[in-house]
Amino acid sequence: MNAIPHAEIEAVAKLEIRNLDFYYGASKALKAITLDLKANKATAFIGPSGCGKSTLLRVLNRMYDLYPNQRAEGEVLLDGENILDPDLDLNMLRARVGMVFQKPTPFPMSIYDNIAFGIRLYEKLSKSELDARVESSLRRSALWEEVKDKLASSGLGLSGGQQQRLCIARSVAISPEVILFDEPCSALDPISTAKIEELIDELTEDYTIAIVTHNMQQAARVSHYTAFMYLGELIEFGDTDRVFTSPREKRTQDYITGRFG
Amino acid sequence: MTLYPARRRRNAMWMTLSVAAAAFGLSWLLLILGVLFWRGLGGLSLAVFTQMTPPPGSDGGLLNAIAGSLMMTVIGVALGAPLGMLAGTYLAEYGRHSNLAFVVRFINDILLSAPSIVIGLFIYQVMVAPMGHFSGIAGAVSLAVLVVPVVVRTTEDMLNLVPNTLREAGSALGMPRSLVIQRIGYRAARTGILTGVLLATARISGETAPLLFTALNNQFWSLNLNAPVSSLPAVIFQFALSPYKEWQQLAWTGALIITLAVLTLSVSARMLAARGTLK
Amino acid sequence: MSDMALPQISATSRGTLARNEAVKAFASSDNFFRRLTFSAAAFVLVILGGVIVSLIEGSIPALREFGFSFLTTEVWNPVTDKYGAAPAIYGTLITSIIAMAIAAPVGLGIAIFLTELCPIWLRRPIGAAIELLAGIPSIIYGIWGLFIFAPFLQQYVQPALIALFGPVPLLSSIFAGPPYGIGVLTASLILAIMVLPFITSISRDVFDTVPPMLKESAYGLGCTTWEVVRNVVIPFTRVGVIGGVMLGLGRALGETMAVTFVIGNAHKISASLIGPGTTISATIANEFTEAVGDLYTSSLVALGLILFIITFIVLAFARLMLMRLEMKAGR
Repeated sequence: MNAIPHAEIEAVAKLEIRNLDFYYGASKALKAITLDLKANKATAFIGPSGCGKSTLLRVLNRMYDLYPNQRAEGEVLLDGENILDPDLDLNMLRARVGMVFQKPTPFPMSIYDNIAFGIRLYEKLSKSELDARVESSLRRSALWEEVKDKLASSGLGLSGGQQQRLCIARSVAISPEVILFDEPCSALDPISTAKIEELIDELTEDYTIAIVTHNMQQAARVSHYTAFMYLGELIEFGDTDRVFTSPREKRTQDYITGRFG
Repeated sequence: MTLYPARRRRNAMWMTLSVAAAAFGLSWLLLILGVLFWRGLGGLSLAVFTQMTPPPGSDGGLLNAIAGSLMMTVIGVALGAPLGMLAGTYLAEYGRHSNLAFVVRFINDILLSAPSIVIGLFIYQVMVAPMGHFSGIAGAVSLAVLVVPVVVRTTEDMLNLVPNTLREAGSALGMPRSLVIQRIGYRAARTGILTGVLLATARISGETAPLLFTALNNQFWSLNLNAPVSSLPAVIFQFALSPYKEWQQLAWTGALIITLAVLTLSVSARMLAARGTLK
Repeated sequence: MSDMALPQISATSRGTLARNEAVKAFASSDNFFRRLTFSAAAFVLVILGGVIVSLIEGSIPALREFGFSFLTTEVWNPVTDKYGAAPAIYGTLITSIIAMAIAAPVGLGIAIFLTELCPIWLRRPIGAAIELLAGIPSIIYGIWGLFIFAPFLQQYVQPALIALFGPVPLLSSIFAGPPYGIGVLTASLILAIMVLPFITSISRDVFDTVPPMLKESAYGLGCTTWEVVRNVVIPFTRVGVIGGVMLGLGRALGETMAVTFVIGNAHKISASLIGPGTTISATIANEFTEAVGDLYTSSLVALGLILFIITFIVLAFARLMLMRLEMKAGR
């Protein structure tokens, strides 16, 4: 796999996070996080367990809103609009910011319906248009060749890696602008992992990607930018190449060399 | 996104319906309990607890009915709970994967929801008919049959919650299986098992149908298990359907007493369960 | 197991001896306990067997006398000693079906409310309130129904129903007067209120088996709460929901005291729901202690046998459905 070329510094910010604090009840899980997610680039979040990287990811599509004890303070601007605004339409937000989870979560329906489900929420398409969209989503997730003859069979009948690619296709089908990946390969075997990493690389052409991973080599392979987090704080952020070869902070250095975590 | 407003409307409609359903359900609870207190409290007096059930048209109390109910409930639980606990122990400890355990579990769950009047018929056939007369012990046994499935289920569930590492620690000391179950399993699950017994008691406290043709009823004071015994539910059944005002009032009061007893037992069971998990 | 011989022989070997004695004693008490629990478990099967055998034995005189026509005859006459189960069976089935038609959707609605909409701090109290409703003994529903609900229906609701459906061709005979108050419809409504909390609590447990990550995936696509419930929660738990509803049906079929008070105890099948009728359990409850003669008693036992068979089938089906959901949820 080719190394990702050195990222340009002038790239536009898609998501700007400003002084983000996050609380589970009374305990503070994120402290004054400030960073930018550049458009059409992949940003990786690494750090030991409990450092807050998944928590941060789940702020970006307000997933924490489902749970009453959790709240966020600060600003997160998507194309300049603050998504933490309580009046913000959550469904619209989630149409623009999609998410792929740690374990594959196909819906209990056919492969075709899994993809069509999301599309039908937002658009009224004719059968042929819908077919075309389903096919193109499955092609973008490198799943089309494997399932084109069994679109009517249940999504649960696929292997783990295929199910995860189905979930990616499902997210892609509704044309989001940002896709969040929360440790997408942690439940998969090495071959499926490699396929998905290739996929993420291709997806940056059209989407802004944020990926949480506990696998540093994966972060190095897949992302343009890397953020290292520890105990709820952002320790270091920058070009992936630079962070891995010459980190500025000692803690980053220690984590990358395996001293802890 | 032209579909969106329609989706919002549909969501709002269904969510309102579900809130309405909840309000509907709760309002019946308030209605029933409210009426029960309103009609029952009026007749609540010391006489209810000190006098016997009266003949038609005169005042009296419910002492014999209360005593009879207490007696048969206690005996019913005393007979049914140990049997249920032992059976539940077998299902959880020895019979995890055996075929017999699967069948017993299945049958037990069916008995759990079986019509209680059928149980009454069963006891009539095997106890009352051969004995030639109705009796309090037959009533108690029919209640015991209702207690067993509840206790079996809760005992099995509670013992299954005890982590295996605890059992392994006991076995590592050389304790035989039976002692591991008794000293460690029962100890760890005791709150849950007790909760199950309380719930079973609550359940049989209000049961009427099985008593109708096992213990029958008795106007006078009698704790003789070998003869018909009075019980609150049977008295309520008789008095409520009668045309006598005093009898009807006693029926309401009796209903209130039963409901309070059942609610107290249920609430205690729930509090006990909550406290047990706060270890 | 080797004994470690130490210089102080006597103390250690006495300890070891005692230990060996204890272990030997363990074996027999262990065996005893195992056999005891096994017998208790087997006894549960004996109870069921006893119920079936005693019911069959008690029904034989009636079944021999009336044969298959017992199930279809509408006559119930203690004077001429002629009995038929048709009105009772009809009453049992129709009251339960109507009750379920009301209780199932409302119960599911409450379960959806509790799992998706209800603010967290309200969940415990409302859930507890629903459980309280489930714990109220059925005789309480009976007495409440007789003195409060039935008169209310008689005064306000039934005349309105009769007037409303009077001109409608088919429905006018279903809602035909006079407004008795007590009757099949009243019994069905009370049964609905009784079964409601039961369905709610089982549905709630069933809805809780949906993995949160699956629901989050749907929310993540921008689904509204209703869309998540309709397209993810309910399909996922479909088998369990059916099992829960069947369990409620089993309860409704066997319900005795609430129905006995308000059904009117008339051994006839009439088209109108507003008139009196009877159910199997109400018939047995009302008439068993006054039944004279072997044929009368035996007919009542035969009714009990029929009820047991019906509920057994429904409950067994329900259990199978719930078991399938548990396996799917990976327990």
